[in-house]
Amino acid sequence: MKIRRRSSNLLIEPPSSATGDIAFNLIVFFLVCASVQPDSGRHQTLPRSEETEQKEEKDKNIEVVVKRQVALVNGDPVQPGQFQDRLAALLAGKPRPEDKVVVVKSDDDVPYHFWMTVTSQIEDAGGIITLQIEEEREVQVP
Amino acid sequence: MKIKRRATRADVPSMAMGDIAFNLLIFFVILARAQDDSHLQWTPAEATNIETAGHSVVSVLIDSDEKLYLNGQPIGEASLESKIDELLRDFAVGDRTVLLKVHREATALRFEPVIEAISNAGGELVHVVEEDRDE
Repeated sequence: MKIRRRSSNLLIEPPSSATGDIAFNLIVFFLVCASVQPDSGRHQTLPRSEETEQKEEKDKNIEVVVKRQVALVNGDPVQPGQFQDRLAALLAGKPRPEDKVVVVKSDDDVPYHFWMTVTSQIEDAGGIITLQIEEEREVQVP
Repeated sequence: MKIKRRATRADVPSMAMGDIAFNLLIFFVILARAQDDSHLQWTPAEATNIETAGHSVVSVLIDSDEKLYLNGQPIGEASLESKIDELLRDFAVGDRTVLLKVHREATALRFEPVIEAISNAGGELVHVVEEDRDE
């Protein structure tokens, strides 16, 4: 003889009144997660500034002049596509770190995105960036 | 005849404790984030070979109006170096990361002295940029 198992009604449904709260908490949780994402960027090592008088060191270090839309390597304008290869070629014969210093001088109106492109290419070519910033001095004439 | 007052017990539902704790946690996380510079307007530049910046206590930002901020607070260029130096005083080499966020159209006249100040304060500079996907 077969005995039927009694089906008990033990299935408990979650209270539907809490669904709104759960949805709200989930939204807030994911919003916070999205805003706490860490920043990513590009490391750049720059030496501390020194006050130096203008010396004839141009023959020692490579000089890059950054204009608004073009960069000059030792006075010669170089196309952005060839810039890194040109620098790599110039730095190839310089094994000592002090010879790999590239002096970067920028015009006042150079936008940051172009400056970043140029300096990134210098670092990728193996150069060590040094910024040359002109200091303004007020001299009172008696 | 005295009628006894019925004592009614009103307990805080223990079911809600988890929700309350969770909401408090989120509230304080948002509060902590409100002190940073996420409310400022700037567009990052692009670069290649970028990596995670890691933990930093100093963030310098130049916004789209070329205004300068240190940890979300406006600051003058002249006092930037000393303030960064003060903030980084207790940190050893390797933990002195300074995040630099510059609006992509900001000019060298504005950002180069800032880079110089960070460098002079002994900060380890990280340019916050986006990965250049065109390369």
